[in-house]
Order: sequence, then structure tokens, then C-alpha cells
Amino acid sequence: MSDSIVVAGTYLISYGAIVGYAVYLHLRRRRAGG
Amino acid sequence: MTRVRVLMTLAAVAVAIGLYFALTAPLDALQGEYARLLGVHPPSMWVAFLAFGVTALGSLMWLIKKTERWDRLASASVEVGVIFTAIGLFTGMVWGQAVWGTPWDWQDPRLMSTAVMLFVYIGYIALRNAIDDPVLRARRSAILGAIAVIQVPLVYFSVNLFRTLHQTQSIRPDGATMPDEMLIAMLVNFVAFTILYVALVAARIDVAQVEAAVAPDESLAGDAVRPPRLNEVEDV
Repeated sequence: MSDSIVVAGTYLISYGAIVGYAVYLHLRRRRAGG
Repeated sequence: MTRVRVLMTLAAVAVAIGLYFALTAPLDALQGEYARLLGVHPPSMWVAFLAFGVTALGSLMWLIKKTERWDRLASASVEVGVIFTAIGLFTGMVWGQAVWGTPWDWQDPRLMSTAVMLFVYIGYIALRNAIDDPVLRARRSAILGAIAVIQVPLVYFSVNLFRTLHQTQSIRPDGATMPDEMLIAMLVNFVAFTILYVALVAARIDVAQVEAAVAPDESLAGDAVRPPRLNEVEDV
């Protein structure tokens, strides 16, 4: 696998985790009635 | 626009700028593309250290003031810190595989101390979830949050104190160990991740405030208002 794909995938997973947490907080706030 | 949305928008713009700098920085002669991980690995660990430092501050302030806002700050900061520690470990393992030939070494002080720090703060979250009484929960987690921060300098200075695969600090009093373009790319991402940290902690505190307003802790009022449990009803 080429190095650039590995680095791009690492960025994608890292940023994906952060976006996932932000979406989780958004949904949790909406469920609470915010 | 609410404060959280403004912060989230700012964070998204800052991270996009950081990503641009990281992906356009020159390649390293030895590491090639892997040097681009400078844009995510060190900033993630910086945020983790910052988050656990803020947790310690919030914990100490709760122990002194006993006000709910400090407890919320401490617990929100831990959640964000755990996510960034996990990202730091993951990106470090990818980088380690490329430059050390192995993603993990069970005897390496930097890797192991970071892993222990991650699990201690996961334990902090578990501790909070195990206690219903809000005052008891705040007190016990504040004590843990104030003590657990001792791991931050241990992790940071582990590369100076022990023999480890990990390099020593890249930014030193006598200058940086990398070209200016790489250094700028890394520092821009430090700023971007710091804004992201503030936005995520603000969002987490906001969630806690809304949830507390909708369903305040029953135990604050004591057992007098506790609804009967199913087994108690059957006993009657």
C-alpha cells in the first residue's frame, strides 16, 4: 500500500473520530430537548 | 447563533487551515509522506495534556468551591482528552510502524505511560457512571482528576528520563529539530486543535446543562422522592 494512502487513511480515521464525537454530542443534546 | 455553534464553526475553519498546511508541507527526506502526521499526532497529544490539565484544575476548584460548573468542566474535559489520547496513540502506532518497524513495544516507557494514562481516564469516566449521587460523584471524580494529572509530566518527560524508541522533544530551547515549513504546519495545527478542544468541551458542557435542566438528579432530593423499584413493589 502506498504511503500516501496510509497517511490519508490515518487522517480520515482521526478526523472521523472527532466528527463522530461532535455528532454524538449534537444528537444527545437534541434528544434532551435542546 | 449559539456560543457552541460559533466555536464549532471557528474550529472547523481552523482545522481546515491546519489540514491545508499539513498536506502541503514538504516531504521528509527519510520519512517521506509519514512526516505529514506532524499535523495530527503531536497536536492530538498536546490537546490530551491540555484536557487533563484542565480536568485537574476543574477538580481542584470543585474541591474548593463545590460548585457544579467546575465538576462539569472537569468531566467534559476528560471525555475530550480520552478521544485525543486515543487518536494520539493510533497515529503514533501508524507512524511507529513506518519509522521503527513496529507499531508497539510493550517495554517502551513513552508508549506504555501513554496507554496507562488513557486507561486511567477511561476509569475516571467509568467511575462517574457508577455513582448516582451527584455530590459523591463530583467529590470522588475530583479526587481522581486531581491525582491522575501527575501522569501528564511523566508521559511528557518519559523520553528524557528513560531509553525509548520515541524521539525527544522536537521544540527545544535551542531551536526546533525540523525545517521551518514543517514547524509552521505543526504549530498551525496546535492552534487549530486547541480551538477544536475548546469547542468540544463547550458542546459537552452544554449537553450536561440541558440534560440537568430536563431531568435533574433525583438523588439531590434524597430517598423521599425516589420511585419504588419493581422488587420492592413485589415484596409488598
